[in-house]
Amino acid sequence: MTIYFKIILAVLLLTSSFFSCEKDSFVDEDGLLITFRSECFVSNFELLGADFVTVRAAPAIIDTVAQTIDVLVLFGTDLKNVYPQFTLATDCKLDPKITGKMDLSNLSDSKIFTVVSGNRLVRKPYKLIIKYQ
Amino acid sequence: MLYRNFNFFFLVWVLLTSLTACQEEEYILPEPISQLTNDCLKRTIGPSIASLPIEFAYAMAIPKSQGKLVSAQVEASIPGGTGTYLEHRSYYTNSGGVDIPVTVGSPSTAVDNGKSSKVTFTVDTNAVTLRYYYIVPDEAKGQTVSFTFSVNSSDGKTASYKMGPYNISKMSIKKNLTVSNGTNAFISIEDMAIYNATSAAAIPDKVDLVYLYRASPASFTHALVSPSADAAYLPSVTLPTGLKKSTKLRKVFGLQDRNLANLQFGIYVDDIDLTSVDMTDMPNYAIGLRAEAGVWVETADKKYRAYIYINSVNATGSAVLSMLRYTL
Repeated sequence: MTIYFKIILAVLLLTSSFFSCEKDSFVDEDGLLITFRSECFVSNFELLGADFVTVRAAPAIIDTVAQTIDVLVLFGTDLKNVYPQFTLATDCKLDPKITGKMDLSNLSDSKIFTVVSGNRLVRKPYKLIIKYQ
Repeated sequence: MLYRNFNFFFLVWVLLTSLTACQEEEYILPEPISQLTNDCLKRTIGPSIASLPIEFAYAMAIPKSQGKLVSAQVEASIPGGTGTYLEHRSYYTNSGGVDIPVTVGSPSTAVDNGKSSKVTFTVDTNAVTLRYYYIVPDEAKGQTVSFTFSVNSSDGKTASYKMGPYNISKMSIKKNLTVSNGTNAFISIEDMAIYNATSAAAIPDKVDLVYLYRASPASFTHALVSPSADAAYLPSVTLPTGLKKSTKLRKVFGLQDRNLANLQFGIYVDDIDLTSVDMTDMPNYAIGLRAEAGVWVETADKKYRAYIYINSVNATGSAVLSMLRYTL
């Protein structure tokens, strides 16, 4: 009787070791934590040149209602090689991601950056409007 | 029963081994050096660049009972350039931090077709440290160089110390070139030189950049611009006939190379920096340059890459530049 009990216990232990834990569903496709926050806005914007020094001629004007970012850049700025930097509300993320230098030289075609809220339910597209000094 | 006894003895054995302490090793007095001996260190850090010195400190000593030092010499695998010598003075540092020389030998002489530098001691000495300055010759670029330091003593003994091999950079260096707006404003990377308009007109294929200064707009100030750049970046500039090169430029800030900055700062630009810098899609102008900034440069024919450092600027429209050039 005891032997049977031991065998059953061993089989149970073996089978349970084959089960894996279910994946945590509180992270998004980028592995970032999905929170309860619904705030969704850009709080600051910076534009750096190839030398990582700002190319702005004045602070960027961020309109959170019209969802635009107006930037006046210095004369002669090489917009083919710039690094945009966004400061977002807590837990937000940006789409598309900025992974390195960007080409923003096509001024007639304003680039759209979408801010996604911490709960991943609100998406706000911001239009980046660049003008030369 | 047997099983229980085994467990008991095993437990006792574990307890006993845990009580055993490691024996402490006794300190043994080091043997005093009883013969001619020597040591060496390289004082220069950073890349070894043609025309710049590599400095060593060579120390040698012999017990008084054995005799005295007679001569010291250094042999380089590639003869050093003009200015290579083994110091005939030994230095000590005074309380103010200043190196004070003490003459111990006759000035070094070049022997073995310039491969070696030799100092013969003129004072009775048992221990001395001599400095050695090896000027990297042009022909050593891209090669390795090694050194053999040796000392002879009065008891007929010789000691030697090998240093290296050290890689010699493929870069060339030129420091403190003064450019001025409208006059000496034409820069040749190939020649690593500055020309005026008349000289530039005679060698249009060698002129890669134009220096100019404009107070307005405020972001323009000091600039390096390719002759073929947009006219907006060459305001009121009449280029000498034939100048048409489009040189790529990439602005840098905070890269104060120690060699270019006249031995300030602790950063070095090396061969790998010039070969790995990404010049794709870079513009052919760099405006708004200031002191301690720099630009990576790639010539139109992709034959050279360079790093131009701005040593100083003057608001009247001049600047002092230094450059490192690498042949691709």
